[in-house]
Amino acid sequence: MEFLRARTIEEALSAAAAPEAGFVSGGTNIVPDLLFGRKRLERVVDISGIRELRFIEEKGGAIRIGALATVTDLLNSDVIKSAAAPLYLCARDFAGPLIRNRATVAGNLMDASPAADLAPPLMAQDGELDLISAAGERTLPLSEFFLDYRKTAVRPGELIRAVSIRPLEAADRSAYYKLQLRRAMAISVVSVALALRMEGETCAEARIGMGAVAAVPYRAVAAERLLQGKRPGDADIEAAAATARESANPIDDIRASAAYRSQMCEVLVRRLLREALGMPKGETVSA
Amino acid sequence: MSDYAVSLKVNGETKKASVRADDTLLRLLRRLDHLDVKASCEAGDCGACAVLLNGEAVNSCLVFAAQADGAEVVTVRGIGTEDALHPIQRQMVEKGGLQCGFCTPGIVVAAKALLDENPAPTLDEIRRGLAGNLCRCTGYQKIFEAVAAAAEEMRK
Repeated sequence: MEFLRARTIEEALSAAAAPEAGFVSGGTNIVPDLLFGRKRLERVVDISGIRELRFIEEKGGAIRIGALATVTDLLNSDVIKSAAAPLYLCARDFAGPLIRNRATVAGNLMDASPAADLAPPLMAQDGELDLISAAGERTLPLSEFFLDYRKTAVRPGELIRAVSIRPLEAADRSAYYKLQLRRAMAISVVSVALALRMEGETCAEARIGMGAVAAVPYRAVAAERLLQGKRPGDADIEAAAATARESANPIDDIRASAAYRSQMCEVLVRRLLREALGMPKGETVSA
Repeated sequence: MSDYAVSLKVNGETKKASVRADDTLLRLLRRLDHLDVKASCEAGDCGACAVLLNGEAVNSCLVFAAQADGAEVVTVRGIGTEDALHPIQRQMVEKGGLQCGFCTPGIVVAAKALLDENPAPTLDEIRRGLAGNLCRCTGYQKIFEAVAAAAEEMRK
């Protein structure tokens, strides 16, 4: 393996235009993956020094998060705290401070774990990727980014430049929960992020991001549809929760059984919808 | 595998070394006789290898050595010495915040980063601040007490 340090996006792209090349920045996933032989690269291109990839800005009605913004950067950002609450709560629960100081937004997505913590909250706010390669630029909705288990739509030599999300407005409602077996340094059992765009009492648009309950993080689109255009009441919430459960395709692993994960999809979607809409808790679980 | 020349400051001293592409900062530091930086899981799970990298607490096992070219690194020995212990180090001794001592360098580094940013942390903030550092001896309680006592001492 060879090591190249890129100082600019142009240098990074030309260095990555080689077979078996890959990027490293925070290294929290890729370094142990390479050391323990889970991944192999002929060339590792260090992009950690590219300052223009590390920013968080609100511009033209969107929040743009640079690829190399760290999870600590998310926590320190007023705009994330005020206009992306699920992402902020997710960042608080993310690993521990030593990891948060290094782990980047793009790295968490590129690792493409089914449990990638940042994916559900970014999806809940219509995350869209800004990609660049020697061939040009393109945008890609985050909902089309994860193709299959640990497989993304990013092409060889392509670099994530930024992720854009739609800011939450004052009337919008949102919630986030990561179900985990301990309070830090945990891979999630189930995670759910939701954002509801409200027009008065009516839910104009709903977004529900689901993590760790399928081969990829995804949006529970069928459940979202049951809420849109309605003043969501008990029956709508029950239907959306049951539909979210149907959408999941979890596995058994050391953290939880598939059956438990399925049940918790329903419980968490119900709980978070009620919390977001300011309704009293309702904890019935359909058998 | 080719070698790469790196130059970095460790506890204020400039060090030059030749590293391989897959060398980590942790392995480089230990080769430079910084045995105060502990190698344990080498996967970012335990925090024993924590150092301050350009002022931020990180797991040195997750940083390629070549990435640290030009960086400033502070290890536990750069935080205080045997003759002049830092309050965090002294309180770890006073409060019994260590038993086998293996996790202690990483704990002291993480605590230093925490108190630099938040001089008056609550117990919950201390727990969150040390969430990436495993200790299998103490049960953590005395470590939290030591950090709280150090914070108080440093505020005086």
